Amino acid sequence: MVLKTSVEVELKVNGSLRKAKVNVYTTLAELLREKFGLTGTKLGCNRGECGACTVVMDGKPVYSCMVLAVDADGSEVLTVEGLSAGEGLHPLQKLFIEHDALQCGYCTPGFLMSLTALFQSREKITLEDIKHSVAGVVCRCGAHPNILRAAAEYAGLR
Amino acid sequence: MTAEPKLLVKGWVPPKLDRPFTVVGRRINRRDAVEKVCGKALYANDIHFPGTLYAKILRSPHPHARIKKVDTSRAESVPGVKAVISRNNFKDWYTYWYKIPQPGFPEIVLYAGHEVAAVAAETPEAANEAVGLIEVEYERLPAVFDVEEALSECSPVVSYSDVVVPEGPFYATDKPPVRNVWGGGPAVLSRGDVEKGFEEADVVLERVYTTPFQHHGTLQTRTCVALWEGGRLTLYDSCQGIWQAKEDLALSFRLKPEQVRVIVKYMGGGFGSKSGAQRYAHYAAALSMLTGRPVRLELTRAEEFLSHPRRPAAKFYLKSGVKKNGRITAVWGRVLINAGSGGAYKPFKHDAILHPFYLYDCPNVHLEQWGVLTNLQFTGPTRSPLNIISSTAFESHVDELAAAIGMDPLKFRFMNYNPYADPVKKTRFSAKNLDKAMQAVCEEIGWDSPQRQHNGRYRTGRGMAVYMFHGVGFHPYEANAEVVVKPDGRAELRMGIVDIGTGSATTMAMVAAEELGVNLEDVDVMYGDTDGTMYAPGSHASRVIPEVGPAVLKAAAEAREQLFAALADKLKVAPSELRSERGFIYLKEDGRPLLSFREACRIANVEIVGRGSRAPNPGPYPRGGETSAVNFATFGATAAVVEVDTWTGKVRVVRCATAHEFGRVLNPKLVESQHYGGVLFGIGYALYEGAVHDKKTGIMLNADLLNYKIPTTLEMPEEIVCINIEAEDPYFAYSAKGGAEGINSAVPAAIRNAVYDAVGVWVNDFPIIPERLLRELEKMGSRDAV
Ligand code: FES
Ligand code: FES
Repeated sequence: MVLKTSVEVELKVNGSLRKAKVNVYTTLAELLREKFGLTGTKLGCNRGECGACTVVMDGKPVYSCMVLAVDADGSEVLTVEGLSAGEGLHPLQKLFIEHDALQCGYCTPGFLMSLTALFQSREKITLEDIKHSVAGVVCRCGAHPNILRAAAEYAGLR
Repeated sequence: MTAEPKLLVKGWVPPKLDRPFTVVGRRINRRDAVEKVCGKALYANDIHFPGTLYAKILRSPHPHARIKKVDTSRAESVPGVKAVISRNNFKDWYTYWYKIPQPGFPEIVLYAGHEVAAVAAETPEAANEAVGLIEVEYERLPAVFDVEEALSECSPVVSYSDVVVPEGPFYATDKPPVRNVWGGGPAVLSRGDVEKGFEEADVVLERVYTTPFQHHGTLQTRTCVALWEGGRLTLYDSCQGIWQAKEDLALSFRLKPEQVRVIVKYMGGGFGSKSGAQRYAHYAAALSMLTGRPVRLELTRAEEFLSHPRRPAAKFYLKSGVKKNGRITAVWGRVLINAGSGGAYKPFKHDAILHPFYLYDCPNVHLEQWGVLTNLQFTGPTRSPLNIISSTAFESHVDELAAAIGMDPLKFRFMNYNPYADPVKKTRFSAKNLDKAMQAVCEEIGWDSPQRQHNGRYRTGRGMAVYMFHGVGFHPYEANAEVVVKPDGRAELRMGIVDIGTGSATTMAMVAAEELGVNLEDVDVMYGDTDGTMYAPGSHASRVIPEVGPAVLKAAAEAREQLFAALADKLKVAPSELRSERGFIYLKEDGRPLLSFREACRIANVEIVGRGSRAPNPGPYPRGGETSAVNFATFGATAAVVEVDTWTGKVRVVRCATAHEFGRVLNPKLVESQHYGGVLFGIGYALYEGAVHDKKTGIMLNADLLNYKIPTTLEMPEEIVCINIEAEDPYFAYSAKGGAEGINSAVPAAIRNAVYDAVGVWVNDFPIIPERLLRELEKMGSRDAV
């Protein structure tokens, strides 16, 4: 048997179809950052502990460092760069700025994408939903109170 | 404002603003927020050059060993490997930190994680493979990890024996006069006669408090790209001080400072850990110089934990005497700081004892701080470096003293409040309003009418604590800034600082706009690059606002005066008759604008460059209150309400109020973020964080973000009330002082004191993990048997 090492993948990223040749062990995060130049997706641990690399894949939030690019073949991925595509900032991005929901900004894409997945998932969102949806993203700067404020306002909770 | 500014700037001191603020004090969004929310902000990890090589470091698996031999031949033969460095080819080479040398590849490694070799290769895979093929012959040496064992006569000595030690032992010295003690003995602060004080006391308490190693846990792991090109080294780094990194790298490679350029536009968290040039950047630079290629070095999360200089752990012995009337009569303390195998200890040699020495009006005090060297990783500055150690231990102790005589802890603190720096010599701080801060936080959480719940599974309680932080413009840096006004009326502020996420670029632009009298939108900011800027302190020790602030104010005032001088000529008025505000120029006595600032720049038609420099604070170092006429510090307090689950031992912070003495808040929105960051660091320290080391091997067992717990949205309190104490301080720009540090310091003791209020047990070992709390509850006999 010949072991496969290099594979062609094709996926929809932020609305456009992208192709790349990847190693079997290449992660989705590496594919996005290195092959597609989408460095908005950050790596904080590269092993599923920090959430900085969160993207929305087929409507679900995933740690892109824990998804192999070959397993993302044929999927639809939304990254932080895709949030504001087209006319200006996404309202959630605007609220993040307005509430200073970021300091160093390294965790920001992870929080934005986790929340995006949550808001896409259903209509009615509670503050508890919001808290739990981002509990898997680490922010060492302590932007949490402002992140919750921004998300709550977006959800119409305040 | 009443008093004239006494800014410690060079030359002419700008007079105080003769009008209300137009920019300062407003809730302005941070400048770089759009880039950050769009994923367009480029951190060092996001910068890529064609032809980049990937570097990887080989680290010692042993906590103490002599390197007999390093064989890199197999590593060198891995396809794609371009360079391998180790003791073999970089023998007497030093990396620098705060200008102090550390052996780049020591013969004796002092901790598990110490650098042994580094590789650069075409791919990360090749670099990894090569590192695994380096053969090292170690002679293992006995190692010591515990502070008390390290002090004992039979302890192994933590030292690089191959080094003739340049003086200033920031790291382990060759022959410590006392075994493993930094500087050969303790730093001591004392006054009065403690023995007499104990005799006068009605109650004498002896306690021991322990605090953990806290890691910075910056979300971005350290990453840099080094580029050696045409005899010049350019480093795209994640560091807090570009000018300090430039100096350190120049020293390490014997380059002229102008041959080194350091660029940091965005950085994913620093908290003190990324000050100056860090060791890892030296290896990348060396590899780039050898290969002539860009070299990228990205540390893994595990390497972050194992190699960066974290906050030292401490063991604090305290013995204090108190009278029934509430007066403290004596304090004796000895703190053993586990400084690991080196790092930056010197600047902190008094820092864990300043708090008990200066904050309380006790006539008899004797305090010792011992810096103890062990075979654990380096330690260094971490958000309120040792301040949090002293506040955690001593503010815990203060509550126990109050309880011992049955007095309310807030009342007790007021009774022993010291408004001076040194209560005997009656020296002063430039400003001190700690009393207001204590009052404010306690009022906020309803100190006297707490809804305490003392029965059942869940119990609630409230507690408070205070802190001082002396990072307000001290030794040794000079701060410079330039304000250039272009003929089109736009201003450019140039500073050699990094905006590490505190929003310095925004706040400093606000100072420049205010002083120039223009709208904030008309000020551009250039920062994060040593090319095109002048020397400035690193963005650590909360230095930017107190140190760079006055330099910016002065630069902007000078630019304004240059414009007025040129304009006065053209308008046939005296420069002193002019004033500027919100982008317009006025005659002083007239409410109507004469012309716009832009128009004025066009008419004046001169090149305008204002410069400002601030010297470090006067007075001795450290920043003690004994001899200098004026002392500098910030102060603050925290009050917390906690809920304790008496079944599981879990503690939840329900509410918390923090008050910090800012002097003046330049931008309330950004300042609140600093309060939140402080609370997060404080809650982590109080309840969750701490390195766990194997007792026998010293290996860190929780070097990952799952087992080293950083608070998330689920652990942060539902409500955090931020209180800014504003009071005039003529030494700083519009009185503004920093607040990134300080705030976290009192959070742990406030939580621990609240736990006592809730369940009646003192926990003296931090973090207060369920196991420790349950053990104390069990001792009290308040758990049912199943
Ligand atoms: S980088 Fe993917 S979870 Fe940390
Ligand atoms: S803003 Fe820095 S980690 Fe969240």
